[in-house]
Amino acid sequence: MSFLKFILKNPFRRRTSAILAIVGIAIGIVVIVALGGITDGLVNTFEDTIHAGGADFSISGKETGDSAYGTNTIDANWTEKIANVSGVEEAYPIYVVLTSVGDDYMNTLIGIDPEGANLADISMKEGRLFKDNESEAILGEIYVDDNDYKVGDTIKIDGEEFEIVGIYETGDQNMAGGVFTSISKVGELMDDEDSISNIYVKVKKGEDPQAVADRIDEKYGDDIATITSVMEMQQMGDMLNMLQASTWAISLLAIVVGGLGIINTMLMSVFERTREIGVLKAVGWSDRKILTMIVGESLVITIVSAIIGSVIGFLACTLLGPQMGISPLFTPKIFIQAFGIAIIVGIIGGLYPAIKAVKLPPTEALRYE
Amino acid sequence: MNAVEIKDLYKSYEDGKIKALNGINLTIRDGEFVSIIGPSGSGKSTLLNMLGALDVPDSGSISVAGRDLKSSKKLNEFRAESIGFIFQLHNLIPNISVVENIEIPMFTQKLSSKEMRSRALKLLDDVGLKDKADMLPNKLSGGERQRVAIARALANNPSIILADEPTGSLDSKTSSKILKQLIDLHEDKNVTLIIVTHDMDVAKLADRVIEVLDGEIISADEESLINSKIDV
Repeated sequence: MSFLKFILKNPFRRRTSAILAIVGIAIGIVVIVALGGITDGLVNTFEDTIHAGGADFSISGKETGDSAYGTNTIDANWTEKIANVSGVEEAYPIYVVLTSVGDDYMNTLIGIDPEGANLADISMKEGRLFKDNESEAILGEIYVDDNDYKVGDTIKIDGEEFEIVGIYETGDQNMAGGVFTSISKVGELMDDEDSISNIYVKVKKGEDPQAVADRIDEKYGDDIATITSVMEMQQMGDMLNMLQASTWAISLLAIVVGGLGIINTMLMSVFERTREIGVLKAVGWSDRKILTMIVGESLVITIVSAIIGSVIGFLACTLLGPQMGISPLFTPKIFIQAFGIAIIVGIIGGLYPAIKAVKLPPTEALRYE
Repeated sequence: MNAVEIKDLYKSYEDGKIKALNGINLTIRDGEFVSIIGPSGSGKSTLLNMLGALDVPDSGSISVAGRDLKSSKKLNEFRAESIGFIFQLHNLIPNISVVENIEIPMFTQKLSSKEMRSRALKLLDDVGLKDKADMLPNKLSGGERQRVAIARALANNPSIILADEPTGSLDSKTSSKILKQLIDLHEDKNVTLIIVTHDMDVAKLADRVIEVLDGEIISADEESLINSKIDV
């Protein structure tokens, strides 16, 4: 038998106590993993929104708010005004409407000039891009997954037949469930060719996007808003910071609660094994070996908790998240954080009982009834 | 060479109120079988603890297996290399198998798992329990458990075995078997055997009986039992 095997066997001698300790710590780990996944998912979505596709920033009406895909409109001639601002390389309008798409009574239809489609940060998964002013559409991959369409089929949009010429993919969940066609076609469908929802802006090479956005804000700030405006960025940043801070606060709470639980479990274990520890000392085990054994046992409990907690947290978020409109994102950082916390709790929780065991005089330990 | 040399050994507890050892002088030869007798509280267990480097004296000198225990550090290494303990209660670890219990002292040595297992099985064979190697201790009888404890005491080939009431919790028939096995191993392996006991029948089996009373040795020779002053 190896020393490691001995350490692995010991924590489960008092099965109920070990299971309770594992459950306690695993709950903390579930929260850390789930909250971490949700926070990172939100960060990702926000970043996609702020980034506004492949553009450097986007412009919306004053009342539209944070979203780059609001359905409030501004006048189409803003595109030209923005394109003429110093530092702007390209400005392309998009027109976002909610209308009947296929079997859906209401879905997002996004209109964009085919030449500006690269600014929308979509890439073709299948087929090709639509042509300008043609009854052609491309569908988002999530929409295709949910509805049984393929390239070459036709789809009814706002009562008109469109040919599906392609399927696109994008990291943005809002866009992945929608449908794109040319902006002129959307204007025609809506019978309103003078309105647009947003303008995607790409700045010239070497220009600072924030400086260009500031320039636009300064000039037209009374009527339009740039999504990258400092305040919006700060608001989003504050929100993300708050989410991340709450993840850390819960992690800290998990450390404290889990640490107390494991200290209690390990203290009970040392207390019940007093005579056994006396025997180990009598047969020549060093203080360091006894300390390693008890801290090792504590780590076994917390690492098992981390594995169970991570699996449950990941599964719960992955299965339940989309149903609640949340797209969690799990990065290795989240699991490293969860295991890091479990290891810290294991060491802290095991150390005090281990020191108590080491300090036990062997003669007293052997006499213990 | 002497296995044990003790001169003017004193040990007290509770700020000197309890004088456990009160000027002990004792010499035990290598390979000798000695029993220590005395009533409860006489100091015999304290003496055994000193011999096993589980406790340190207040004053005097104590040398065991050629090592000065009073000035030595790393007493755990000395215990691991030179001493085998047998306790009244077997003190086996309940959640590991019989053979794994025998391997526990070997964790102090630089042995591979394979070497540990082979040595432990040989020791189990010596005490007649090789067929029970993979059983948990609670599946064994009291006598069998004590035989496992004897095998564990021999795990690191110690030069001295210290047994504290090794048959104290066994019936007389099992007791005789255990003692016979212990004495056979002592003779076969030429280890010094020191037994603390209340039982005069057990004590008589030794080459020499040491009588302890109030922390002092009142007799320590082969003739001691004839003139025993204490009622054990």
